[in-house]
Formats: sequence, C-alpha cells, structure tokens
Amino acid sequence: MNLETLLMELSAAAGISGREERAAQIIIDLFAQGEGAQWISEFSQDRLGNIILRKQGQGPQPPRLMLAAHIDEIGLIVTEMDQGFLRFSCVGGIDQRVLLGQEVIVHGREDLPGIIGAKPPHLQEPEEKNKAVKLKDLIIDLGLPEEKVRSLVQIGDPITIRRDCCALKNSLYAGKAMDDRAGVVALVDCLRRLKERHHQAEVVAVVTVQEELGVRGARVSSYGLNPDLGLALDVTHGDMPGLADYEAFKLGQGPVIVTGPQVHPQIFKTLKAAAEAANIKYQVEAEVTPRGTDAYALQMAQAGVATGLVCIPLRYMHTAVETVSLKDITETSRLLTEFIMQIDRAFVEGLKCY
Amino acid sequence: MKELIRKLTSVSSPSGREEPVRALIKEEITKHADEIWEDKLGNLIAAKHGGKTKVLLAAHMDEIGVIVTDIDEQGFLRFSNVGGINPQRLVGQRARFANGTIGVFGAEKLEENQKLTLSKLYLDIGARSAEEARQKVSVGEIATFYHEFSDLGERIVAKALDDRIGCAILIEALKRVANPQNDLYCTFTVQEEVGLRGARTAAFGIDPDLGIAIDVTGTGDTPEAERLAIKLGQGAAIKVKDNSLITHPMVKDLLTDLATKNNIPYQFEVLPFGGTDSGAIQLTKAGVPAGVISIPCRYLHTPSEMVDLNDVEAAVRLVVAVMETKLD
Repeated sequence: MNLETLLMELSAAAGISGREERAAQIIIDLFAQGEGAQWISEFSQDRLGNIILRKQGQGPQPPRLMLAAHIDEIGLIVTEMDQGFLRFSCVGGIDQRVLLGQEVIVHGREDLPGIIGAKPPHLQEPEEKNKAVKLKDLIIDLGLPEEKVRSLVQIGDPITIRRDCCALKNSLYAGKAMDDRAGVVALVDCLRRLKERHHQAEVVAVVTVQEELGVRGARVSSYGLNPDLGLALDVTHGDMPGLADYEAFKLGQGPVIVTGPQVHPQIFKTLKAAAEAANIKYQVEAEVTPRGTDAYALQMAQAGVATGLVCIPLRYMHTAVETVSLKDITETSRLLTEFIMQIDRAFVEGLKCY
Repeated sequence: MKELIRKLTSVSSPSGREEPVRALIKEEITKHADEIWEDKLGNLIAAKHGGKTKVLLAAHMDEIGVIVTDIDEQGFLRFSNVGGINPQRLVGQRARFANGTIGVFGAEKLEENQKLTLSKLYLDIGARSAEEARQKVSVGEIATFYHEFSDLGERIVAKALDDRIGCAILIEALKRVANPQNDLYCTFTVQEEVGLRGARTAAFGIDPDLGIAIDVTGTGDTPEAERLAIKLGQGAAIKVKDNSLITHPMVKDLLTDLATKNNIPYQFEVLPFGGTDSGAIQLTKAGVPAGVISIPCRYLHTPSEMVDLNDVEAAVRLVVAVMETKLD
C-alpha cells in the first residue's frame, strides 16, 4: 500500500454524506480482500454503512478503544430540473462562493460530467455585480437535451465536484474531500503499523459516514461498539495569511492534539507524552465548544466514553482545494500507534481518577 | 376518510399535551391492532404481527401552538412558541386553549412590519382585567390555532394537517392491511414539533429494523413560491433529504420500487429545511435505516394547511405496500 496513492484515490472518489459507497469501496477492497486483511482480525459494516475494522488486543481483559475518521464529503444534490438544466442544493457546509465555474459529476443512472454556470457579468443587473452568486441562481449544465436529462437524472441524485488531487511541492496535496479522507489515511496507516506491534487494547477503527450532517455515523457506531475509550481523527484549520495563530495550525509541523471540555484530560496527557517519547512534533489546540467532529458523538455514547481528538492541519476547508501535508498524516498515524501502545486495563481504570 | 381527517383536526393537541387526539386515535384503531400501548412519554403504539422484520411506522400526533408566558395588567397574554410559528402570519388569527377559551392575536404598533417578532404580539381573550384573564387562563397553558375544517372537493384545508394527515394515513393503512408480512409498530408520536422527541424514545423502546415516518412536506407550486419541485396532486413524495435525514439508499429504493410496481404516483423530495421523526429513528441505538413518505402540503404551519386527497390516497397505498411486502 502506498499512502500517497491512497490519499489521491480517496480524495478523487465520490462519496457525499449518506452516499459514501464509492469512497468506502476503496477501504473495503483494502481490508476485506486486500493487503489490509492481514492487519486486522475482523471486518464488518453496520446498517448505516460505517466500516468497522477490528484488531484484537493481546492483554488481559483488553479494553476497547474506538478510533473514528469520517469518509463522507460535502457535496451537492439535485433538487429540480429546469429546461434541461439542473438546480441543486448543498449537502453539508459547502462554501457557496467557490461553486461557480466548477466541473461536477452528477451521479444519475450513469456518471454525467457537468459544469456549474450562472448569468454572465455582461447581463447582470448593476446591483448583482459585486455580490457572490447565490446558490439558487446557479445551474448545472450537462450539455444534454431536456428529454435525455429527464431519463438519466432524478431529483435527489448526488453530485460531487470533479477534481483530481494535485500533488504540490513539499509533500502537500490539494483536492476535494481531504476533510476527512486525510484522517482515514492516517487511520489505515496506523492499522498497518500496529501489525508489527504487541498492544494490549482491542482497537476498533471505524471509518464513519454522515459526519458532515451532524456526526450521525459516529453516533450509531459508538453506541453499537460501546467502547471504553474513543479517539476521533479529523482536520483543523491550516495556517494562511489572514488567520490568527490561535485559530490556524502550521502544515508540516505535525498533528494537532486537541484539549477542551470534550477531551478527557488523561487522554490529552497521554497523547502528548506518547508524542514526546517518540520524537513526534505536535501542536496543541484549545477547543471550548463541542465542535462538529466525531469526538462529540463518541463522548456522548451510551453512558459516556472518555474521548480524545487529534486533528490534521488543513488549508481552505470545505472548498475543492483542501490542502494537507502527507508528513502530517504519517506523523499522526505514528502518534496514534504510540498512544495505543500506552493503553491497557489499568489505564482505563485510571480514567476515573482525574 | 374525510370524516376521519375532520375529526382528527378538530381537536387541540399541542406538543406535550396530546391526550385529546390520542384518545380519538385509540378509539379508531382498537379493533385493527394486535396490541396497543402507550409509552411513558405518551407515544401511542399499535402492534400488528406478521413477520420477523420489525418495522416502525411513525406519524406525529402533536401540533404547533403558543404557550402563555405572562398576563399583563390589562389582561392581555404574552406568549412564546411551541414549535415553528411565523409571527408574520399570526395577526387576526384565533387560538383556543384546552378549556375552550378563545383568543385573537394582535400586534403592537410597529414602524416596520418586517421587524415583527413574537415578542411584539399578544393574545387577546376578551378579558377586561388581569384578574378576569387569570380566571380563564394561567401562565404555562398552551393554545393551538382555531380554524374549521373546509372541504374543497379533491382538496381539504384545516389546521394541524401537519401531521394529523399522517395519523389519518396510518390509521387507514392499519384498517386496510390484509396480510401483514412484517412485525408492524404503528406509532403515533408526541413532541415532534419541538425536536422529534417522542420518536426518539419510541424508537429506542421498539428497536426496529426499519423506520418510516409519514409526514407533510412543503410545495413550490404556488405563485412566486420559493423553488421546490413538489406539487400538490402529483402523488406521495419519497423523501431523499431534509435537515434531519438523508434517506438510506436501500429505503429510498424500496419505496420507489413499491410505488412503481403498484402504479402509485410519486415524486422525489429534497427539502432544504425541516426534519421528521425519521431523523431521530435513524440514529437510534446502533442505527436504523429510515425513510419518509411525505404528503405535499401548502401553507405549512398556518391555520389553513392544504392537502390533496389523491396524494393522501397514494400515501395510504404506499404504506400498505410496505406493510404487505416481506422485508428481510
């Protein structure tokens, strides 16, 4: 398995929230029959489509650690046919300003290439000129006659941005859906590393669905697995001009370990200690609001789960040019692996003492 | 069926105070279910056994209303909303309390009508003093819209068609189903309008394999309406997405195939707002595939909601088809 290839393939694969099947298939292929099958003890999928990758622990009464990274991406959905053109709405918090001029794929009875168009500047009213085009004024043009559109497309069909991942210099990769396919790659790499290691805890890595619509996949999978502790892997804002230091983190400077009310202090401490012991550079983010990551669902599952959150810095979130560093991804997977090595029954018992 | 709808919409049963409509529904379904019970929050559940797969069918009993927060010195009532109430549409409308007290909505003088908020509105129950008002109504009591049922032929207008029409459809389906192939739990839920609360606990208790809600949806077929590809009279709507749910692809395909096979007119629904009981059902325990059969409805959340009986009939047939199809 080549991490760069996996990241690029996952980034380009279609999989809006609720319709993750194609991106999910890449993971299923890897773990059900592929190379990854040897890294885990059991593969399964739950009723909402979460992929559950289980690896047994080798200690006495192994505690269960659930890892979560989401495979769904934000995208669009067909709402109406308008004289052969398509009207559409958003699935998840897409940045509407960047939609105009995008190439898309409409996943109808077959995959159809399309473009997002709007009224040309020459024909706009003066008051329209200085404003971003509103979603309701955008249309998708498939280049097909109306009859053909009606036979190939239905209201409710998913639409994804058509975008191949672009390798920039310095191990940076730009593409759509890096949120949170970058986290999924780190999760996969962590399972690969664990193959060589003798760990006490049972590790259940869950590739979750529907995170962007309110952490729905993590909510049901964490209920189903009822873990002793949880760790979510997601992305956080990367540094760029115009952002303050406290709200953005440097690309290439390692994983961001999150602290705040939703993170158990012992898990935060252990993550930092594991990073330091293994010479992994890391950054720290203080987060006081329960943000929209799978950590929120994990923490609130059943009678409550001690939870941690590790994020990969990412620039231009919720656009089609989300940019991450492959170095951060591999360092994140290293951190996860070293953290897992620290977990045993005694650690879980100790969580009750603050 | 018109008579059933008239009866169901004539009672006042806001969220958390569903007893009057629950009593009516119970009476209607008693002969048609194998077991009937109420859970602790007041959800009414009618079970009909026929197969292994547990199917939860949900329609909510509650309706939106206003709750009294204060009675002023002149005897005017101030209120807050129970569920989604649009202040622009209240002035001149009437509301009724459980004890029969009627009030009319009035508004303070405003420079700009666009700035009308609930805090600028009051309810006038004709009291001449605070004391007289307090004899009729107390803080914490809930009133619902007061408006009669109108029969327009193929179409009907009433308050609370959201979601008494869903209740009527579920009752009618329960009466019509001849060969149930699944373990059916027809659930009349409470407190949907305040955040899908009844469905959440009902689904936890039932722990179903599949969930289907029956509820109303908006339309885009009126003059200069906001864009929405839903029309009255074009059939039952199969929901693809709203703010609470992306329909499980398997459930969407099931409903679409059943509609096609049985020649039931249908349309697909992508609603950019709102949520239904299926949003809560889907997230129950370790996850439940869920979908929604919607009934197109104009003037949602006003005292005059309008549906087309052809869409209602289509929805009944689709619900019966789900009940009579063996699901594994």
